[in-house]
Amino acid sequence: MQFVVNVAVLGAIYALIACGYVLVYRVSRVLNLAHGELMMLGAYLLVATASGIGSPWAALGFAVALSLAVGVLVYLFLMRRMTGEMVLAAVLSTVALGIMIRGVVLLVWTASPQYPRAALGWDNPSLALPGGANISFFSALLIGVTAVVYAGLFVFLRHSRWGMRMRAAGQNPLLAAQRGINLHAVFALAWGLATFTGAMAGMLIALDSGLDATMVMIGLKAFPAALVGGLDSLVGALAGGLLVALVEVGVIRFVDPLLADVVPFLVLVAMLVIRPWGLFGTREELDRV
Amino acid sequence: MALLAVENLEVVYSRAITAVHGVSLSVPQGAIVAVLGTNGAGKSTTLRAISGFLGLDDARVTEGRIRFDGQDIANLPPHRTAAMGIALVPEREKVFPNLTVAENLAAVPSPRPRALMDTVHDLFPRLAGLGRRTAGLLSGGERQMLAIAAGLMGAPRLLMVDELSLGLSPIATAELADSLRRIRRELGLTILLVEQSAAVALSIADHGYVLENGRVVLEGSAERLRGHPDVQEFYLGGSAGGRRSYRDVKQYRRSRRWYG
Ligand SMILES: Nc1ncnc2c1ncn2[C@@H]1O[C@H](COP(=O)(O)OP(=O)(O)O)[C@@H](O)[C@H]1O
Ligand SMILES: [Mg+2]
Repeated sequence: MQFVVNVAVLGAIYALIACGYVLVYRVSRVLNLAHGELMMLGAYLLVATASGIGSPWAALGFAVALSLAVGVLVYLFLMRRMTGEMVLAAVLSTVALGIMIRGVVLLVWTASPQYPRAALGWDNPSLALPGGANISFFSALLIGVTAVVYAGLFVFLRHSRWGMRMRAAGQNPLLAAQRGINLHAVFALAWGLATFTGAMAGMLIALDSGLDATMVMIGLKAFPAALVGGLDSLVGALAGGLLVALVEVGVIRFVDPLLADVVPFLVLVAMLVIRPWGLFGTREELDRV
Repeated sequence: MALLAVENLEVVYSRAITAVHGVSLSVPQGAIVAVLGTNGAGKSTTLRAISGFLGLDDARVTEGRIRFDGQDIANLPPHRTAAMGIALVPEREKVFPNLTVAENLAAVPSPRPRALMDTVHDLFPRLAGLGRRTAGLLSGGERQMLAIAAGLMGAPRLLMVDELSLGLSPIATAELADSLRRIRRELGLTILLVEQSAAVALSIADHGYVLENGRVVLEGSAERLRGHPDVQEFYLGGSAGGRRSYRDVKQYRRSRRWYG
């Protein structure tokens, strides 16, 4: 039973991070290789607001809003120039952005671990589940947030005008622009949402178990989850997250915990051999990239 | 004053290929103007230059001016010209294939979404029944209707249609031609139409331009063009009968210049 809980928690973490890769890729074909760093930055923003703002809820809300703004600003000041240009140049700038964020984080918050939960004065009680399993409060919250985020994204993409515009721009940016859709607004929205959801994951992980600069590794491990799912599919990111988590927790339990960090990439390689377009990806996507 | 005035337009692809050399067009308010010409003449490039390019097209207006309602719009991105009132129905990839018909229409930023949706369904009743159909599964005629309808959702003043009849049956073409006439008459739109079939174009348009190799070689009222021997010969299938020799074609090319 504990095994199932661990898979669910880790799967939710990967899925919550992976949807950010999918959102940006789907609308602009850009692999955001700074997503892990942006997620970590979100968690550090919570560290900052936790020490600066008295009310814990206000601190959390402010950090979440800030992370959304960071995503939009990254688009406006960095990625905007690449709109409608070569995808490779854009991907390389995300690599540079990631390195910059890591530098800033080390400079401002040093390499020592931070515990925003203590700063906010919150507990993290362990909840007993039927079947003798346990789950920490913030892990349970993370699963709940992942479910809400995914449900929200599905409704948004399917039924809202801006969601339709995001899908339209992802299919054919030129036609979208000719129909009067402002690509900059669509891409800024995608970056904002991606950074926002990633930062939520970062904050919840940090609240659960603290953070230091190695959090980037979690973001990196969520990348195979997004790829396994197909990179342009939200359902795929959810399934990919759960699949990678299942294999990883299985390997930790039955083989060797030291292998944990390589498992997502092994799953990825296996996937690329069997079904290169991912679980739910579109086969034609492959030709276009 | 003309709603759209293109003066001496030059468009270059990839900084090397000049596709349009000094084209001038004038589209008066409320008119239907047709641009005729064979494949590769520069018709699509001209319309796309008016609508605007994205970086990934690697195309640029290098000379001349494009004025819409008195404002210079050369090299504005498409979403800006769309916001100013220019809608383009492109030649290919004119709908979002993975969106439904209703989503294709709803995704367009529109000042009056409800009223315009009614207008569009009144104009193309067939689309009203196809709302949930994936646009990629539409027939050619339905696809063209949807593309025009989506163009109208933005409440444009100028509607540009690239290749109205290409690949469509005569019945579908006649139906679409009627819709364009209604769009001008009932909605008061100005229309700039690109057509390879001169017969179709000159039956709808008031005025026409003939493009070849990126240049305007002939211009005039639809009536004049219909009666023009070169148009009769080379675009309307000819009445003189018999095949023309290369010398005649050369003669035609030489004489044509004087009509420009
Ligand atoms: N994206 C492009 N890159 C380079 N050349 C192009 C591109 N698009 C069109 N051309 C060239 O420009 C010329 C005009 O093309 P186009 O405007 O599509 O003609 P038409 O619509 O009249 O058939 C052609 O010679 C074509 O090969
Ligand atoms: Mg063309």
